[in-house]
Amino acid sequence: MTDDNGLREINVDYLARVEGEGAMYLKLDGDEIIDLEFSIFEPPRFYEAFLRGRRHAEAPDITSRICGICPIAYQMSSINAMEFAAGAKVHPQIRALRRMLYCGEWVESHALHVYMLHAPDFLGYESAIELAEDLPEVVTNALRLKKLGNTVMTLLGGREIHPINMRVGGFYRTPTRKELDSLVEELEWALATSEATVRLVSGFDFPDFEMPYEFVALRHPDEYAITDGRIVSSEGLDIDVSEWPEHFEETHVERSNALHATLRERGTYHVGPMARFTLNHDNLTPRAEAVADEVGLECGERNPFKSIIVRSVELVLACEEILGLISSYERPPAPWIPVEPRSAVGHGASEAPRGILYHRYEIDDEGFIADARIVPPTSQNQRSIEEDLRQFVAPRTHIADDELKWQLEQAIRNYDPCISCATHFLDLTIDRVT
Amino acid sequence: MTMERIVIGVGNRDRGDDAAGIAVAERVTGTISHVVPTGAMDLYELWTAHDSVVIIDAMRSDAAVGTVRRFDVSATPPPAETFASTHACGPAAGIEIARALGRLPTSIEVIGIEVGDLAVGSAMSEPVEAAVDDLAAELSDA
Repeated sequence: MTDDNGLREINVDYLARVEGEGAMYLKLDGDEIIDLEFSIFEPPRFYEAFLRGRRHAEAPDITSRICGICPIAYQMSSINAMEFAAGAKVHPQIRALRRMLYCGEWVESHALHVYMLHAPDFLGYESAIELAEDLPEVVTNALRLKKLGNTVMTLLGGREIHPINMRVGGFYRTPTRKELDSLVEELEWALATSEATVRLVSGFDFPDFEMPYEFVALRHPDEYAITDGRIVSSEGLDIDVSEWPEHFEETHVERSNALHATLRERGTYHVGPMARFTLNHDNLTPRAEAVADEVGLECGERNPFKSIIVRSVELVLACEEILGLISSYERPPAPWIPVEPRSAVGHGASEAPRGILYHRYEIDDEGFIADARIVPPTSQNQRSIEEDLRQFVAPRTHIADDELKWQLEQAIRNYDPCISCATHFLDLTIDRVT
Repeated sequence: MTMERIVIGVGNRDRGDDAAGIAVAERVTGTISHVVPTGAMDLYELWTAHDSVVIIDAMRSDAAVGTVRRFDVSATPPPAETFASTHACGPAAGIEIARALGRLPTSIEVIGIEVGDLAVGSAMSEPVEAAVDDLAAELSDA
């Protein structure tokens, strides 16, 4: 709407197809952006506070409650931190099972976002319901992929929502080969369907838009980093996870219940599928690399709207990874190793579907948590989202409010923001002066 | 396919009256029941073997807390704004996706329980507790 002073204000009171509650506000004076804010108003949930005083081994089960979409990420990052603090090293097959489980979460989360939350933007549908009416086969495949991810999580994690089988030192129970083999036929279908998904979404129309992101992701020398790795960036950062506090900082901004994270030296950075794809491109699985090449997806892609292609490539990768890990699986000699806590600071990170999830814990000499800090990917991407919106709006201020709203919401959904996680956010407003 | 009914409770057991749907599903006896968190795009997976479905969920309208309302959604959608979800997809969307995919059962009813306090960690209110008990008894006897 345009007021008597010619100020143009566009409001989206509740952003759809994102997890949690948040808002965007845009105020324009002609072509000039007066104000642009992306805010998260979902109430903070104070997880760091009530972790204090709990035993070190409780952190995975408590933090997994932060998110119904990526509980494995919370479990993995907290376990990494606790095992780091205790100096524990798990059996290679335990690590393989963790990667398998984590890939199940990627399949579930990416299938949900690619098809049900993001594809409707490109195909001109308000929601997945309209998509289901016109393209039932697409939605059926999406839900079948999501179900497979849930099945992997149930088998390895004990249940699909807030799994309970992973623990510090390993698992409460490890699966038999027969149990894992039962997944193979559906995984083969999922792998082929994911390749078809890459081909489908790469044919969408993408706005001509690129950003000079500094990508930050985990990197592992031998694999596409998921469960652990060093923190690297496209500007040369290469640090151990324990060096996080020296290179990153979080600040509170009044408009948001989620802290904004920045690189101390360079400010805004970008985490998530596009960062992973660029920084781990040489470790793509064969079929993921082949289909990415086939559709012309280049290493270093910086059009955030094309993140839907990258997520689809990661669907292929996740299915390939699970199949490969099942193929080489040997049940480990023990489901877990004892991990004796000691007075130490533990740092852990893993690649949640939306990007790096960092945890830091101070453990006292009796094994209790004295201090906890959790930095989810959406809070790290808040500044990147705002900068995308600012750059995206600048040449598009002539577009009518309804269409501009649609495009800006789409730009936010490029990040698959998980507002519930970030607050441990959406309401969109555009204000035009003229 | 069996004509046996499934009772599906939707909600968050840790948020006061939002636990109403889950509480009904947990208290019914002699009938198949299932509880789900609020995100449920693939809700139809729960009734693939059933031709009769009852979904219980927390409801927000202008009614008194504890009021029970019934919606036959076999032919028409439930009022989505009455069954809102902070998640990417609430049960109303799950039902409509099933309808679009031709996966609705012959009989599907949504029962809403008007809720009040949804604060994290709070208990269900007395009127909602009473409505839950009444519904659980009724659905158990059917």
